[in-house]
Amino acid sequence: MAPPYTIAVPDSKIDELHKKLDVATFPDELDEADWDYGAPLADIKRLTAYWKSSFSWRDQEKTLNQLPQFTRSIKVDNFPALDIHYVHQPSPSPDAIPLLFCHGWPGSYLEVVKMLPALQQSHSGVSFHVVAPSHPNYGWSEGPKQRGFGLKQYAETCHKLMLSLGYDQYVTQGGDWGFYITRAIGLLYPEACKASHINMIRASPPTLLKNPWQAVKHKLLPYSAREKKGLERSEWFATEGSGYRTLQATKPATIGFALNDSPVALLAWLWEKLHDWTDAYPWTDDEILTWVSIYCFSRAGPSASLRIYYEATHSGPGGVTRDRTQEWIGGVKLGLCYSPRELTVVPMTWGRTLGPVVFESVKTRGGHFAAHEQPEEIVKDLRGMFGKGGPCHGIVKAGAKL
Amino acid sequence: MPPTITPYTINVPDSALKSLKAKLESTNLPDVVDFIDDWSYGAPLSDIKRLTDHWADGFDWRTQEASINERLPQFTTKVEVEGFGDLDMHFVHQRSEVKGAIPLLFVHGWPGSFLEVEKLLPLLTKPADGGPAFHVVAPSLPNFAFSEGPSKPGFGLKQYAESMHKTMLALEYDQYVTQGGDWGFKVTRAVGHFYPKHCLASHINLVLAKKPAVSAVQEASAYTDGEKAGLARTDWFAQEGFGYNLLQSTKPSAIGFALADSPVALLAWIYEKLHDWSDDYPWTDDELLAWVCMYQFARAGPAASARIYYEVQHPKNEAKHAFATGYIPDVKLGVSIFPRDIYVPPVAWARSLGPVVFGGMHAEGGHFAAHEKPELLAGDLRKMFGKDGGASEIAQRFAV
Repeated sequence: MAPPYTIAVPDSKIDELHKKLDVATFPDELDEADWDYGAPLADIKRLTAYWKSSFSWRDQEKTLNQLPQFTRSIKVDNFPALDIHYVHQPSPSPDAIPLLFCHGWPGSYLEVVKMLPALQQSHSGVSFHVVAPSHPNYGWSEGPKQRGFGLKQYAETCHKLMLSLGYDQYVTQGGDWGFYITRAIGLLYPEACKASHINMIRASPPTLLKNPWQAVKHKLLPYSAREKKGLERSEWFATEGSGYRTLQATKPATIGFALNDSPVALLAWLWEKLHDWTDAYPWTDDEILTWVSIYCFSRAGPSASLRIYYEATHSGPGGVTRDRTQEWIGGVKLGLCYSPRELTVVPMTWGRTLGPVVFESVKTRGGHFAAHEQPEEIVKDLRGMFGKGGPCHGIVKAGAKL
Repeated sequence: MPPTITPYTINVPDSALKSLKAKLESTNLPDVVDFIDDWSYGAPLSDIKRLTDHWADGFDWRTQEASINERLPQFTTKVEVEGFGDLDMHFVHQRSEVKGAIPLLFVHGWPGSFLEVEKLLPLLTKPADGGPAFHVVAPSLPNFAFSEGPSKPGFGLKQYAESMHKTMLALEYDQYVTQGGDWGFKVTRAVGHFYPKHCLASHINLVLAKKPAVSAVQEASAYTDGEKAGLARTDWFAQEGFGYNLLQSTKPSAIGFALADSPVALLAWIYEKLHDWSDDYPWTDDELLAWVCMYQFARAGPAASARIYYEVQHPKNEAKHAFATGYIPDVKLGVSIFPRDIYVPPVAWARSLGPVVFGGMHAEGGHFAAHEKPELLAGDLRKMFGKDGGASEIAQRFAV
């Protein structure tokens, strides 16, 4: 039985943060710059002042510690074991199935929190045992000290965590790196991972060779107005929003020095994404700073959180490439959730090239952090997909825990 | 009334030195992992730690400052850039005593500075052998080192060109030639494009010439080993080295906050390029830190230097900046290609940029050609403008 985990950031780290915030040096800003150049100076100044004087990490920590969280040692092949932090909320209902929730960057396991109460309740004949880890290098999990820890290893960590909890069959939910990691899990462990719900759909147009029926539809039918808007959004992300991604995938150590040394740099780096990637989500200052603090105080340090980009892009032989996760994976039933302010919003014919798609939902609002922005919608999707009458009802064996 | 040229002495305030030292002494470095010193991932921890410690407690800025002031004759002058008001321009100016010397505008790039001109000065102003001599002007681009920066968006290539051209006019160089790499390439191309009656010839060492349309067969047989290596280097830059460029071109403030608040962030950001982009150049720690200080102590602040990338990527005040990599007909062009630069095309591709009157490919040297291989670069300029050179006719125009 894994020991419950208590987050206890040392006083020295909090003091060090405050000292740095005290002497923060800001750049100037061009008149009328607004959000075009990145996070506005006024926001960063306000948030820095709040972080320094009003935000209480200890209060947030207390709240975070109310979650059912644990750590256990997980060892993947060719790497030493890592201490992995995770939230585990089983359900007492006999119709509960195991659900692995995978966060991304710059998110964390916290993204699952709003869904926890609903997922534990039986509804439509289903409920969920929720497992939400901090991936290695994130949150309260250790990070690997060896190079080459890529998508395969992230997938293996999650899978072995599920097995260690007694879940030899499970379903998954994820976006951002959660998309790539859950796809890798489905590729590597189809006997265990029977179905996946994804809210960031990265897929290419269907080709006659690989997806003939979708390709024909794609050729014959015009994109809907919604799909056209989605392509515009995707274009914006590719041309205006991808600098961080290219940098992190090639020189994570260089930018890592900035994120480790300057909390203001970290704040600006992350807040810009929390703003640009969501659909007018009303972030509170406490919320923003809690998300940023998890990076600031993370066990492996903020610069380590960037390494997944590098490793996934420089995947050696035997690894799982990002490209592979964006192609057909046959053994896993898929549920796709399309939100208008996600980063890549593809036409539905493209999404269907990913695998056997049995569930599709189109949201009228919402962005990248779907579970956090519209938890009731993701819960609805999961119940629709796995509940009675849904395409994946009974796909893994159910049973009460607790 | 003729513009005022004021002698300039770098004099960083004590408060800036004090706060720099305090920040360096409370640096928070990443944890050690096995690959923490592997250049593939970016700047190595051991180097950054060593340089941070030296910067805090060994590197003597006042000595460096005095030395730069002594070695490089610097001045400022106010120039008006249309739509942006007056900008105080900082520049190095060294005249040659040789009669008929050619006025040369040298434009630095990122993460360089006016310091890059230093080794060229004696070679160009005091040629040993009776070849062409030059009066050299090396400004700091607006937003860099000791030049002012604009306070509103939209300061693009046209504005950079205007600030350079007007600096030359302020020095009464109505006609001149240019030399540049990195941003110096695009800015001097803009100078030639907008002021073809004044900018008579340009020499470039970052040759951003597009690939001409050729068949695959022609292509496969045509390249020399050196050219193939250059293209491989170019591919490396596109795949592995371009992140800083895409970031600064789209979200300059994202890195700006880091550069303003953390000297270690600035150090890593620049040091990685000084290493990756040069050809095994034996940087000393003091040299590296002096280059970084040009950003740390910049008049517009370190964050402002990223804005040129954004502005040139998002032209506001005129149509696209496509002319910079297109054919500019009226300016005689000289190109020098160094094998460890970041974009290394075959020399022949340069024909798409303009009337090429000099083309040289070297066997050594990288991105910071004037600093790494001043004799080679100066040699190319002297060939280009020498009596048998492709731009000799231009040189003649300055003969007394």
